[in-house]
Amino acid sequence: MKTAATQTALTLFLGFSIPVGLELVWLQNARTELEAASESTSEVAIASVSEDQYCSTHLKRVLRRVAGACGLINDGGRGCKPTDAKSVAAVSGDDFNTLFRPLSHRASIIQFDANEVMLDESAKQLVENAWSAQRGASFFFVVSRASQDGGAKKNQELSRLRAGAVLEHLTTKFDDPDIKNQVGLLWLGEEFAQLGTEFCSWNRSREDECTQKEINRSAFVAWIDCAI
Amino acid sequence: MVSQLDNDLLDTAATIPDAKTPVIVVRLLYTAAVCSLLGAIFAAISSADFISHLDRQVHSIHCSVLPGAGATIGESGCRTAMMSPYSSLFRSAIWGGLPISLLALAVYSYMSVRIFLFARRKQVSRTEIGFLIAGSALPFFMSIIYGTISVVEVGAICSVCAAIYVVSLVMFIAVILAYRNTERRPKVFSQKSSYTTWFLQGFAYVIGVVLVYFMFAPQSDKVMEGCGKLVKTKARKGVLIPYIENKGGTPAITVLDPLCPACRAFENRLEISGMQKRLNLSVLLFPLDSSCNWMVDQALHPGACAVSEAILCAPGQIDEIMTWAFSRQEELMDIAKEDEKKLRALLKKNFPNTKSCLGTSKVRSRLNKSLRWAVSNAIPVLTPQLFIRDKRVCDEDTDLGLEYTLAQMLSAGGQK
Repeated sequence: MKTAATQTALTLFLGFSIPVGLELVWLQNARTELEAASESTSEVAIASVSEDQYCSTHLKRVLRRVAGACGLINDGGRGCKPTDAKSVAAVSGDDFNTLFRPLSHRASIIQFDANEVMLDESAKQLVENAWSAQRGASFFFVVSRASQDGGAKKNQELSRLRAGAVLEHLTTKFDDPDIKNQVGLLWLGEEFAQLGTEFCSWNRSREDECTQKEINRSAFVAWIDCAI
Repeated sequence: MVSQLDNDLLDTAATIPDAKTPVIVVRLLYTAAVCSLLGAIFAAISSADFISHLDRQVHSIHCSVLPGAGATIGESGCRTAMMSPYSSLFRSAIWGGLPISLLALAVYSYMSVRIFLFARRKQVSRTEIGFLIAGSALPFFMSIIYGTISVVEVGAICSVCAAIYVVSLVMFIAVILAYRNTERRPKVFSQKSSYTTWFLQGFAYVIGVVLVYFMFAPQSDKVMEGCGKLVKTKARKGVLIPYIENKGGTPAITVLDPLCPACRAFENRLEISGMQKRLNLSVLLFPLDSSCNWMVDQALHPGACAVSEAILCAPGQIDEIMTWAFSRQEELMDIAKEDEKKLRALLKKNFPNTKSCLGTSKVRSRLNKSLRWAVSNAIPVLTPQLFIRDKRVCDEDTDLGLEYTLAQMLSAGGQK
């Protein structure tokens, strides 16, 4: 009888110890794994601004100089006049244009009528589209120009007003306090290297005829995907 | 009268000379014992899967009862069920809570032993089988309750759980049939005190398993610390969209992608957990779609930018748009993959308020502001994320440990 009682007690104990034993093993494994587990986000990318392939050291250096000298980095975006641009960029006009060639997929060319500084509807639309395509870029450059028709002084003024027109439209349309920290204006006079007709194939606000004169009565606008 | 404990341990004490248990009853009892054993095995599989997640990592889950079937890492009914708040108890008190499957393991283990002990007797009484009916009724009715919850609340059937429901049913039927085939005999000991003894034995199984769990379940200090902090808690108007507003609730931000399945599951868990009531929750839209988000190489969730724009166009309808998008994520992603314009047209049709706004440069610019807010806070490129005040809830605490983590973080901040 005692044997039977012992057997029953043993069976009950065995029935209890198996699940509890398993539970202890599982919990111990989990504890070991928890201690060994690394930081959960160590392999996850961190949100950051863009750094595109075209961001060469040279381009960044020019951008920093231009942005710094034109007040963009420190005091909010304002303009630089042609002489400043030449000295701060420290490159020739052609080299300066070359630097921006890789931006063909990002830049838009806002065209103006001769002697005009007003944005037409298609120009406004293109400025808005370009602005809203910011993605991870930090700086929006507006590089305005004028053709070589007329006097140098007049063209310089036209160039300045064209850059200003772009900025004004952005401010009116978007009412975005970031504009002053992100937009840099650079107005280039006729003495600075003119854009070649190859820029006619870029994204322009007009689809009509495009000679060197037309392409230089313009403002080149682009977000720069470089962490400068 | 034989004492109850003696009677239980000395299994021949209550026998009548020459009387024997009918073969059919013995067979039915062994059937019930096998079912109970199977129930214990399935519950052990579920428990092992659950406990393996206490290391806060992602693990594969066994979602088949077929011999040789391996565990799977992807989404499955078993994962959904396990991650649901119904899979465990006391979730606010212990990370992950006490798994129900562990209680089931204790109950089935005890029932296996108890049925086996009765079945091997020369004579089994109606009193004994009556206890088995009561004992089997517990897993049987729990199976009905949990089966209903699976279908109605969780919306997913876990095959291991379904196997448990089936064996519970068979066990219950087997003991009822065994009872009907057992002759009525004079009682040689008190039915009430026998039941008490057997019940206490079963209770000891459950309590033992529970105590071991509470004593040895691994804990981590990281829960309170969180995984990072927001540098810039304030945002421009329109970047953080008010989602759930509770007066006196703790400020919280959730980083969501409307077409991310993990966000849908997270949102569901948060809702069921009841913790939403303690939060003043805002949403930061973070679509993992390369058409607007430069931080991802490809459109992980195509169309997410368009849906996010729709939310920004009609922030007052965020709940409606989110619910709509969450309920048809796969369909919307397929449409966007084919042609995003179609998705935009669908959004305009379903939410006419967004008509004049969706796709405009203004709303695209606003969406960009959301993404840039993420940049300025250097948060990880993933969704979902939850911030309580400025503290980021660790990713590993957003599923099984969600209730515990939130309870800890909220109480640490003196939330009512």
